[in-house]
Amino acid sequence: MALALEVLVVSRLLCFLLVLRLGAGSEAEGVGEKFKIEGRAVVPGVRPQDWIHTARVLVEGEEHVGFFKTDGTFTVNDVPSGSYVVEIVSPAYRFEPVRVDITSKGKIRARHVNYLKASEVIRLPYPIQIKSTGPPPYFLKRETWGWTDFLMNPMVMMMILPLLIILLLPKVVNTNDPDMRREMEQSMNMLNPNHELPDVSEFMTRLFSSKSSKSGSGSKAGKSGVLKRRYVLFRHDRAVIYVYRHFLFDSEPQTMLDYNGFQDNL
Amino acid sequence: MAPSLCLYIYSGLNQQRDVRLRYNNILGLWRTVVSVHSGILEDRAVMVVLSEIWLLFALFEFSAAIYEDQVGKFDWRRQYVGKPRFAHFDTPTQNARKLMVTTENNVIASLNLRNGEIIWRQVDKQGPEGNVDLMLFHGQDALTVSGRGRLLRSWDMNIGGLNWEILLEPGSFQTGSLVGSAEGVKYIAILKKASISLHYLTNGHQKWSEALPESEKVQYQLLYSSGSGAVYLVGMVAGSHLVVIRYDIEDGKIIEQVTVSAPWIRRLWDLCGIVADGILTCIDRESHSLWILPLESEHEPEQILLQSLELELPEKFEGKILTTQSSPLVASSAQFCLQLSESHYALLQLHEGVVTLLRDFVQAVLVSFATTGDKVVTAVMTAKNKTAFGINLYSAENGRRLLDTAMNFNLDPNCGQPEQLYIHAFLKKDDSVGYRALVQTLDHALIFIQQPGRIVWTREEALAEVITMEMVDLPLTGTQAELEGEFGKKADGPMAMFMKRLSSQLILLQAWTSQLLKMFYDARKPRSHSKNEITIENLARDEFNLQKMMVMVTASGKLFGIDSSSGTILWKQYFENVKPGSSFKLAVQRTTAHFPHPPQCTLIIKDKETRLSSLHVFNPIFGKRSQINPPVLTRPILQSLLLPIMDQDYAKVLLLIDDEHKVTVFPSSRNILQQLQDSAPVIFFYLVDPVWGKLNGFRLHKDLRTEEIWEVVIPTETQKIVIVKGKRSNEHVHSQGRVMGDRSVLYKYLNPNLLAVVTESVDTHHERTFICVYLIDGVTGRIIHESVQRKARGPVYVVHSENWVVYQYWNTKSRRNEMTVLELYEGTEQYNSTAFSSLDRPFSPIIFQQSYIFPSAISLVEATITDKGITSRHLLIGLHSGGILSLPKAFLDPRRPEVPSEQSREENLIPYAPELPIRSEWYINYNQSVSRVRGIYTAPSGLESTCLVVVYGLDIFQTRVYPSKQFDVLKDDYDYVLISSVLFGLVFTTMITKRLAQVKLLNRAWR
Repeated sequence: MALALEVLVVSRLLCFLLVLRLGAGSEAEGVGEKFKIEGRAVVPGVRPQDWIHTARVLVEGEEHVGFFKTDGTFTVNDVPSGSYVVEIVSPAYRFEPVRVDITSKGKIRARHVNYLKASEVIRLPYPIQIKSTGPPPYFLKRETWGWTDFLMNPMVMMMILPLLIILLLPKVVNTNDPDMRREMEQSMNMLNPNHELPDVSEFMTRLFSSKSSKSGSGSKAGKSGVLKRRYVLFRHDRAVIYVYRHFLFDSEPQTMLDYNGFQDNL
Repeated sequence: MAPSLCLYIYSGLNQQRDVRLRYNNILGLWRTVVSVHSGILEDRAVMVVLSEIWLLFALFEFSAAIYEDQVGKFDWRRQYVGKPRFAHFDTPTQNARKLMVTTENNVIASLNLRNGEIIWRQVDKQGPEGNVDLMLFHGQDALTVSGRGRLLRSWDMNIGGLNWEILLEPGSFQTGSLVGSAEGVKYIAILKKASISLHYLTNGHQKWSEALPESEKVQYQLLYSSGSGAVYLVGMVAGSHLVVIRYDIEDGKIIEQVTVSAPWIRRLWDLCGIVADGILTCIDRESHSLWILPLESEHEPEQILLQSLELELPEKFEGKILTTQSSPLVASSAQFCLQLSESHYALLQLHEGVVTLLRDFVQAVLVSFATTGDKVVTAVMTAKNKTAFGINLYSAENGRRLLDTAMNFNLDPNCGQPEQLYIHAFLKKDDSVGYRALVQTLDHALIFIQQPGRIVWTREEALAEVITMEMVDLPLTGTQAELEGEFGKKADGPMAMFMKRLSSQLILLQAWTSQLLKMFYDARKPRSHSKNEITIENLARDEFNLQKMMVMVTASGKLFGIDSSSGTILWKQYFENVKPGSSFKLAVQRTTAHFPHPPQCTLIIKDKETRLSSLHVFNPIFGKRSQINPPVLTRPILQSLLLPIMDQDYAKVLLLIDDEHKVTVFPSSRNILQQLQDSAPVIFFYLVDPVWGKLNGFRLHKDLRTEEIWEVVIPTETQKIVIVKGKRSNEHVHSQGRVMGDRSVLYKYLNPNLLAVVTESVDTHHERTFICVYLIDGVTGRIIHESVQRKARGPVYVVHSENWVVYQYWNTKSRRNEMTVLELYEGTEQYNSTAFSSLDRPFSPIIFQQSYIFPSAISLVEATITDKGITSRHLLIGLHSGGILSLPKAFLDPRRPEVPSEQSREENLIPYAPELPIRSEWYINYNQSVSRVRGIYTAPSGLESTCLVVVYGLDIFQTRVYPSKQFDVLKDDYDYVLISSVLFGLVFTTMITKRLAQVKLLNRAWR
């Protein structure tokens, strides 16, 4: 595929490339005419005399070096024919590099730099006109602490939203509606699909409470059940949010005893 | 061995395909994938878009960037210009602010006279093509001729940019001068070997250009004009005659051409000068006389014997002439200076054909002319002793000493002798002459002195050419050393040990309290006072060993000790007898870790011409020469090895191998020789001969004889060895292998004896050029791997570390820079996990290779290093733009997959993208660009996360890098206030809620 592409490009630019190859050949032999690359660089909003003393024009690394004139133009002299990447280097401003092709006859064109497909041609004006894209972002931004950052933190959101919902929902939804209650129960079952499988939280609570409540009164056991559900709620808080949303949107008036009981406990 | 290797290389070249090894994750098998080399990068263009999206996420992990408020916190940069070739003060008034210099390093710069700082600086191309041949001044413009007379440039001295720039015709450059005519100074004349041309000063356009008559025979070297509408040109044929040509300024016509017989003439440039109104004055060294020839008339030259002037001549008369012309509009001054010997000058006057002696300076070091207004003065520098100097001004007209112009100053004793004197003379309000002096010394220091001898500033321009450097740990403080010493000593019994422990703890407590007290007192003082200067006396290691001593060796033969945290020069030492072009090697024989013994560094200086080396032993902390006498080396040294063997004074042994392959041991105590004998069977070394393309391996015998054990010959008719690179001896590799996606381990091939040898093809044609990388075991000479990059050309830059080699080259076909990484692995099983031996390695390693495009030209590559090697590695890449890029090594991982799979994602492999990214956050030196990077030195610090980096070239830049962020220390932006306020807040709320809960419980109980 790359070969086909190259053939295509070659057929389109055959003569130019051929001339170029010739040029490159003469470069290797060290003979051939020398040419000059000209151009102009602009930093919007800054006068040339304020930035040119730190800037240079580099052609293919440091193979050829050019300096800026006080009006922002530059000339790089003594460049043999070939293809070069012209870079304007300045610590304070960023410029896009430009590829310049010079034929052995001295015909010059400028184009975008594409290292991947060296033969791709997107023409640019010649003499080179480069506008700075502004100062380079050398630094990272410090993370500043703000209330919004704190509030938008997913952990905080996860804590606050359920809290709000738990507090507000009973006031919005009529929990005495039997349909609603049924649906609520269903969704709770969905959260805890396998009843036989011991819940980790339950196991933990049992483990810890077993010592303290060896004598074990009935009311305490009931309490631990409620406690377990609360754990479930927090553990699956995302899922719970989803469930409540579901309620909010297809709100049919329902009752939910268990839910109320839970709320009382809070 | 040699013929078989040649065959191997040739077969490598004839292969049309590049063989790559790739690990197949699914099958768990090694298989060889053969792909056409040239097409590899293009084929993947489609992949780029896909993988770059992924990259965006991946990039967050790699952070080498700093925050804006960290600027200058732990980094510093010093900028230099180099040894001046021309210097000029901007105006001849007292409030001159600038000094223009052009230097041997092809730099044109403007310095601030008040503090010596650089106002602006332009760095031209390296080598003779950027060389500044001449600098002239006209108003606010500086005119330079550079590149062997190729370019004529006019610089605006205030802005630092060009007014204009023109190409001159080819031809070897002789000289140039400003030309004055009736309308003022409007032109510049450029004299080449075969032509003379005149250019307008306003735009550089050529007014006229003329071929010189008989230019193949006659050497034209002098140009003179005095505002009369004509340019005089003086040429000569050595030992035969002089040619004087007068050109018309307006049209370049020859007005007059005179040939004068002069059998005494040798050369023009320092033996002849134009004095007074166009009178050529020449020195004849043989007959000890002056020849005087007016340019305008056709007189025969007149001879004046120097004896007749009552001048004492030395045995071997090596006279030179020094003339001055204040402006091209007026005639040369009638006074001139004659240098009779190194310290003997005479001020002479030529008046109506008669030469008279105005003043004889018998003990003068340097003499220089200066002009202010219409006054011409002669500044004479005399030496009182080796370090004390004095400058006096003499009126050129009558040779009288000017009142109140004496200037006495002392130079640093570790400094070179003065070499050049620039005088900035100006008229004071009372019309007397005042002056300031710029003294340039042999060690490339610039010293600016004001009357009456106050040194205003000093620039150490030797630091513009740092050749090599080392970082040495600072010594421990007394208390720290006491604590350390406790562990070294032999135990006297548990009770004594315990008592010692207690006492040292007490000392520590005491030191801590005194430090606290000091801090308390310092806090009360105003800020400017409390900022204590770092001096050699209060140098001490800091908590994390981040502050070190940088020992820098410069090309001038001057050594510097620089504090790495601030960049302050703490000591300097100048070796006077170092010839230019010598090579240096610095070895740290004893670090600061062995407390009562001072640290010890040895500098090996190798002379370029005689190839003989000399050793200098010094203390790297104080810069003092050591009392130890190093061995005198009578034969050229080819290789030096620093062995881990230590003598009873804890100094490491330096082995020096000379050209007869004999070994010199330093230090060579009995203890050392005994140890060497024991460990001789495991000491191997190699020698490289780039001329014959040979690499030879040697082993050491017990009696310190050497024996050649292997030889690798690289055919010099096709290739030349350019780089041989081993691994750093202080490098630690923490993990022996890499855990793969399928939970198996790929063990690294960690051969400490591995050498990366890079060769370039002799044929530089862009179709046939290639580079070759050989990985050779330095002990056995076995070629472990060989890879050829076709259509590639140097300069090649190599980094060789751990189990990988990264090299960069220029792809002539696609005209771009490419980087290739080679990684060596043993496989999923380790052959011998306890120790590595080159002699017992039956299996050759598995090699991965991948290439990338690097979208910029490179001037150097180096890798970061840390104490234990746990931190991930970054490559530090010096770019021609002056930026130092910190590129995570993860981007140069040959296992980067083309199609990311589940396993590769688990391994955190970045999908392959042909082009390596350059992000401006990765520049470790932000806008502090470093010109012409010559070396990047990396050193581990006491913190595992931190690597110290020094970049040197024309400038020096020091910083710290954290390749895996600061994981072992709290970040400097750690918010102590927030954390403590949250903590206090929580404690407070707990207390309140506890109280509330109690109240509630009570209420419930009452209910």
